[in-house]
Amino acid sequence: MCELRKRGLVTAVIYSGPFLKLGRNQARTFGVPELPLLEITHPLGGISLGDVKARAAQAAPQFADLVRKHLR
Amino acid sequence: MSDLDALMHAPGAGFEADDDLERINDLYCAKNWSDGLPIVPPTAARVEEMLTYCDRPLAEPVALIAPRYGAATPLRLAACAVMAGCRPEYFPVVLHAIDALCEEKFNVYGVNATTHPCTTLVIVNGPVAKELKMNSRHNAFGPGNRANATIGRAVRLAMLTIGGAVPGAGDMATFGTPAKFTFCAAENEDENPWEPLHVELGFARDASTVTVFGAEGQHNINDHESVTGEGILKMAAGTVATTGANNLYFDGAPLIAFGPEHAATIARDGYSKADVKKYLYEHGRVPLGMLSDENIERRIRQWPVFGNEYAEAGPERLIPVMKSPDNAYVIVLGGPGKHSAYIPTFGATQPVTRALKRRDGTLARSVGDFRRR
Repeated sequence: MCELRKRGLVTAVIYSGPFLKLGRNQARTFGVPELPLLEITHPLGGISLGDVKARAAQAAPQFADLVRKHLR
Repeated sequence: MSDLDALMHAPGAGFEADDDLERINDLYCAKNWSDGLPIVPPTAARVEEMLTYCDRPLAEPVALIAPRYGAATPLRLAACAVMAGCRPEYFPVVLHAIDALCEEKFNVYGVNATTHPCTTLVIVNGPVAKELKMNSRHNAFGPGNRANATIGRAVRLAMLTIGGAVPGAGDMATFGTPAKFTFCAAENEDENPWEPLHVELGFARDASTVTVFGAEGQHNINDHESVTGEGILKMAAGTVATTGANNLYFDGAPLIAFGPEHAATIARDGYSKADVKKYLYEHGRVPLGMLSDENIERRIRQWPVFGNEYAEAGPERLIPVMKSPDNAYVIVLGGPGKHSAYIPTFGATQPVTRALKRRDGTLARSVGDFRRR
């Protein structure tokens, strides 16, 4: 993911709330501290398929915004 | 100025602090450099003494420890060993354990960062275990032995301070485990009726090895009643057959540590170590119906480890915890008593063994072989 970001591709990591610090630390470790982190509601495990789709619906517009910004 | 002096006096290599143990420990906790127990301050003199048992270049990384991918140089590892309370002669075991657990198949990133309560279990085999007076008998996984306690702790402090496995930031364990403070013992080779682990793995009997597991704390196998090997194995298989451990879902090489009395009974009845593994593979199985409907669907029917094997399986179908007879590790550990232990792993991990070798690749016969010339 970080390698793709370094090459200029639109990339992001989707995380649920408690994993924000881990995501930030990993992005810094791999040399892309500005890597976009897209938040979804925690948890992702132990939820129904409907709730999984709802999480995807949270992430999708955030990623679409990233793509739009990249294309501008 | 020696190389060591130059390294230790390089900018950022150290700092000055008041000679006050309490304040130093407060500082180490505040900086996330501590496991919370008091540490021995890694002064330049103590680190230098630790490094007398290291024949490698002091600034050359042995490995990079995830999730931070910090460079585990002998200098930094020596500081961790001092903090843990190691005697200098323990240092070669610490260094080889770090080298082992950074091999890719161990998956140290996963073991450190997961929500699962796994840690780094270190098992020592060969003559060095006795040389260091390691405990392989009564309470081998418990307190009371300096080598067991501090080697395991030094490894964990390296995960924390070099690897960045800081709770909530690089170590996301839901509960963690007390085994994350230290988890290290020597195999009880003297009372092992089978070949010890390192010999089974192809090392010479007089080699000394460290084997690391991405392991949970142990689950007891209490059997005071069985008088046959098969009886004890049946109880062990029953303990292995649990729904909560990751090994049901992964090809993750769990460990079974037989107490010497159980091992003697099993061996007396003609079971080789290979027979034991085969028995546990064939009988350590969980019926599909013990799982919830969601787990059957997501963790079994659609789980990549199983392919389509259970796509049409009914509730009586048995799922082996070990994915092949060779998937289990078997050792003998502990003192008298009718107990053995099942030690599940993170699952997405494989154990790694390293022989203690000098920098030139020759097998070490003693920790004294690592003394800096």
